[in-house]
Amino acid sequence: MYIGLDVGGTYTDAVLLEKGQVRAWSKVPTRQDLLTSLLESFDMIMTGVHADLIERVVLSTTMITNLIAEKKYDPVGLILIPGPGLDHSHYNYNTETCILSGAIDYRGREIVPLSPGEVEGALERMASLNYKKVAVIGKFSSRNNKHEKEVFKRIQQANLDWQVEMGHQVAGQLNFPRRVMSTLLTCATRDKYQFFTDSVLAALDNRGIKCPVYILKADGGTMPLKTSLAAPVETIFSGPAASILGVQALIPPGETAVVVDIGGTTSDLALILSGQPLLSSKGANIDGQMTHVRALAVKSVPVGGDSVVERVGREIILLSERIGPPYCMGGPMPTPTDALKVLGLTRLGDLNRAKEAMQILGGPLGMREWEVAARIMMLVTGTITSEIAGMFRSWEQEPAYRVWEVLQKKKVRPDTVVGVGGAASGFLTQIAAALDCYPVIPPYARVANAIGAAVARPTLQVSLRADTEQGTFSIQEEGFQGPIEDAPFNEDKALELARKWLWKRAEKYGLKDNLGDVEVIRKEVFNMVRDWVTRGKLIDVSVQTKRGILHYIGTGVDKGEK
Amino acid sequence: MRNKQTGVIFFPAFDWAITPTHPEREERLLYTRDQIFEEGLLDMPEIAEFPPKLATIHDIARVHFCVPRVQSQVTEAHMIAAGAALSLGDSIIKGEIKNGFAMVRPPGHHAMRVVHGNRGFCNINNEAVLVEYLRRRYGIKKVAIVDSDVHHGDGTQEIFYHDPNVLFISFHQDGRTIYPGSGFTHELGGPGAFARTINIPLPPGMTDRTFHYVVDNLVLPVISDFQPEFIINSAGQDNHYTDPLGSMKFTAQGYAEFTRKLNPHLAVLEGGYAIETALPYVNMSILMALAGINFSNVREPDLAGNSFKENPDRFAQVQRMVEELLAVWQRRDQTDIEKIFGGGKFYQRKKYIYYDTDYIEEEQFEKVRICGACPGYLIIESKAHRGYGEPARVLAISIPIDACQNCQTEAYSWYDRGIQDKRQYNFVKLQDKSTDTCLSYDRDKKQEWKSEGPKPGV
Repeated sequence: MYIGLDVGGTYTDAVLLEKGQVRAWSKVPTRQDLLTSLLESFDMIMTGVHADLIERVVLSTTMITNLIAEKKYDPVGLILIPGPGLDHSHYNYNTETCILSGAIDYRGREIVPLSPGEVEGALERMASLNYKKVAVIGKFSSRNNKHEKEVFKRIQQANLDWQVEMGHQVAGQLNFPRRVMSTLLTCATRDKYQFFTDSVLAALDNRGIKCPVYILKADGGTMPLKTSLAAPVETIFSGPAASILGVQALIPPGETAVVVDIGGTTSDLALILSGQPLLSSKGANIDGQMTHVRALAVKSVPVGGDSVVERVGREIILLSERIGPPYCMGGPMPTPTDALKVLGLTRLGDLNRAKEAMQILGGPLGMREWEVAARIMMLVTGTITSEIAGMFRSWEQEPAYRVWEVLQKKKVRPDTVVGVGGAASGFLTQIAAALDCYPVIPPYARVANAIGAAVARPTLQVSLRADTEQGTFSIQEEGFQGPIEDAPFNEDKALELARKWLWKRAEKYGLKDNLGDVEVIRKEVFNMVRDWVTRGKLIDVSVQTKRGILHYIGTGVDKGEK
Repeated sequence: MRNKQTGVIFFPAFDWAITPTHPEREERLLYTRDQIFEEGLLDMPEIAEFPPKLATIHDIARVHFCVPRVQSQVTEAHMIAAGAALSLGDSIIKGEIKNGFAMVRPPGHHAMRVVHGNRGFCNINNEAVLVEYLRRRYGIKKVAIVDSDVHHGDGTQEIFYHDPNVLFISFHQDGRTIYPGSGFTHELGGPGAFARTINIPLPPGMTDRTFHYVVDNLVLPVISDFQPEFIINSAGQDNHYTDPLGSMKFTAQGYAEFTRKLNPHLAVLEGGYAIETALPYVNMSILMALAGINFSNVREPDLAGNSFKENPDRFAQVQRMVEELLAVWQRRDQTDIEKIFGGGKFYQRKKYIYYDTDYIEEEQFEKVRICGACPGYLIIESKAHRGYGEPARVLAISIPIDACQNCQTEAYSWYDRGIQDKRQYNFVKLQDKSTDTCLSYDRDKKQEWKSEGPKPGV
C-alpha cells in the first residue's frame, strides 16, 4: 500500500492507495507543529492497517516555497567569477557579493586565471561581515570547475566554519544567472530543510512505518527524503506538481487536458499533453528570479473564489486581491463565490447575503441579481480561459533549433478541462464550454494532490558532455568533470557511459531497484572542424528514467506491477 | 514594457550543412549558443525569443527566379531562415517588439534574383525576401539595407540595383582581394535608382577606427537623408580580426557600437566563420546593443594580445573615398543620368555570374525599361552552364510593385512572346509585384505554374 501526503499551507491531505484504488483519505488543518498534523493524518487513513503493509510514503510540501517567500533563512554571501560578458552591475542579488577576476570560456578553457590576492580579500570580507554561508559560482563552471574548486580549497585551508556550495555541483546546465540563484537558494535552505525531514522521519518512526520515504520534486518525479538534502530547492513547487500528477492519475491515460485548480485568491493552471504533464521550458521562477530547477509548467492567475469584485463607474470589475471571506460567509466585499451562490452553483454561504452582495454591485446600474452574478461569472471564466489559450500559445512558441523540430510543430487543443480545488466546480462548466471541452471533476478531486504524491515515480537524469578534442567529459547532474579514458571516444560509448552514470546515481539515491526503462532524451554530435580537418567531436547525450506515474486510479491500469 | 523588447530568433540549424567540413556547417553557431545561454541573455526582460516559422514558396518566388523551380533550390532550412526574418518583420511592424535579430543560418546576401544554384554559401536572399514581403503586406515603401559583412553583398545589390526605394550600402574588404570580386565605388545603381547603391571597398587590415569613420561620415548621413521606414542590417561578422576568410581587424566592440549607432529595425546574420573566436562574442554584443544592454564588458579572449595599428595611407585613402561618395550621394538628383547610362527605351548590360559553391557559370543579359511614370520593368535573359550538357536558358521578367499600366502590359507581352518562341528558352518566368502574382513556364513539360500571394484582408 502507498501513502501520499501533501503538506500544504492550510491543509495536510493524505491518501492510502491499495492496488490503484483509494482505500482511505483525510484532510486536516496544517498546524504550527508539523508532527501533530502528520500523526493525525496517519491515524485517520491507517485505521485497521498495519504499518508493515505500507510499501512507500511520498510527501509533497510547500515548506521550501514558504521559507523562500518569507525569506526565513540566514543570509548567503556570494563569490562570483563572471569574467567578460554582461556588465557586472547586473549581478545584483541583494546580498554581499564579491566579484573575482578570472574567466573560463564555453569549451572550458581558462582565459583569465584567478588572482590569489582577490580570493583572500573576498574571504576576509565575508568573514568580517560574519557570513556563515557562502556560494561560489563561476561562469561556464559547468564546463570547467577549476576556479570554483580553487576558491573552495582556500576556504577549507583557512579553516573557516562555513557552509559552502559550488555552482557546478548544484546546476550543470548553461545559464550563469540561473546557476547563481539555484546555488544561493540551495545554500540558504539546506539546514531548515533538514529540520523538516527530521520531523517527518520522527513521525513515521513514531507510527512504526519503516518503508522507503520519498519527496516529490517540482518536475513531478520523486527522490528519497534522505538524499533530498543535497538539493532542497528541487522540492520547491512540489505542491502544484502533486495536483497535476493527481489529475493525471484520475483521468484516462493519454488524454490532453487542462488542469484548473481554483483556490481562494489564485488559480493554478497546468497542461497535460497526450497524457504527460508539460514541463516548463525555462527553470522554475522563484521570487522573480529564474533558476535551474526543472519544474512542471504552472501558470498562477491572481483570480479565485475570494477575489474582490467592485463597481467602478458603470463597470463591474474583478480585482486580484482578497480582503476577507466572501460576503455570503460574513466577509466585507462581494466575491465570485457570492455569484456562484446566487446562481445555485455552490452549497457554501448564505443565499440572502449573496443576493445582497449582488445588489450592492448591480443596484445602481439597474441590474438584477442574476444579471450581476452572470457578469461576474463571465469575468472569472474569461480571465481563466484567456490564460489557458496563452499557455497553449506559448507552448507552441517555444524555440526550435533544428529543422526537424520546426517541421514537427503541431497545434494541440485539449479535450477536457479538469477541475480540482475548492472553487473549481462552480466555474468549470463555463470554462469548459468556452474552450469547447468536456468539464470533468474527478472523484477524490479534493485530495488530488495527495493522490499525485502517492503515484509519483522516481526520476533520474544524466546529461553527459564530451569534448574529444580536449579529451574531457562532464556529468551535468553530478558536477563531475574528468578525462576521457576510453579513446577513441564516440557516440555509442558516450551513451554507454551516460547509462553507467545513471546507474551509479540510482545506487547513490537508493533507487537501483525501481529504475525501470531508461530513455535517451537528447543526442547531439558536432564535428569540430578546423582548417577543413575534423579535430574532434562534441557529444551531448541525456538519458533519463521514463517519466510517468505508477497507477491510474480506478481504471484497473496498474503500472506498478509491470 | 512589451514594445520595448528586442525580438530574437535563434535558428542555428543544428541538423543542416552544405557539406560536413564546409564553413557553413552544423557547428557554426554552437559556441554562440553556449555563450548566449550561459550569459542568460534570453532570460532578460529586454529580450524575447521567438520560434522560427517557414516562409512560403510564394514569399521566395516574389524575389527569386529559381531554376527550374523554387522547390529545387531551397531546403527547409532556407525556408526557416527566411521565415525567421519575416516573422520578426511582422512583430516589428505590429509594434510587438522594437527591433529584432534573426540569428539564423543559412545566410543569403550573395543570392541574386536568378538562382541556378548556391553561390557564396547562399541560395535565398533573406533580406530581399523580407523587403518584398513588407512592401506587399504592410505597404512599406522605403527600406535601407546596410551590409556589414566582409564580402560584398552582391546578391542584395543585384536584386535592388534598379529600385529607387531601396537604399543599399555595403562596406567590405576590397573586391580585388576577396570573394566575390565586386563592390567597387562605381557600382552606384541603375539609371532609375542612381546612388541608391553605395559601395565602400576597404583596404585589408583596417580596424574599428576606419569602420566607424565610414559609419559616421557616410552611412549615417546618407541614411538620415534617405529617411527609410525600415532599416535592415546584413550582419555579417567576418570583418572580425580572427576571421579565417577575411583580412579585416574589426572587434566585437566595434560591431556593437555600430549596431547602436545604426539602430536597425532588424539585424540578419550573414557570414562570419571564426566560429569560436568571433561569433560567440560578436553575436552576443550585437544582441546586447539592439536590446540597449550595456555591452562594454564583452571582450574577446585574445583581444589584448593583438595589435590594431592601421596604415595611415590606407586610412587617408578611405577618407577620400568617403568624401567622394558623399558628394555623389548629395548630387544624386542633379546628376545627368543620360550621360552615364545613355538614352533610349531600355538600359541594358551584360553580366557574368559565377556560382562558387555549385560551379555554375551564368551569363546574363539584363534590360530595364526606362519609364517616366514608374521604375520600369526588368527583363533578364540568363544562360547557365553547369558541367557538361546543354545550358539552361531562362527568360525572366520582373514588374515592380508600383509599375505603371503601360509597363505592366508590355511586360506581359514579353512573357507571352517568350513562351511562343519555343527554340530560345527552357523556362520563362514572370514576377508581377503589382498584383503579387508569379508565373513560371517550363517548355519541355509544356506547363505553366502560377502562385499568388494572400488576398487583401486575408
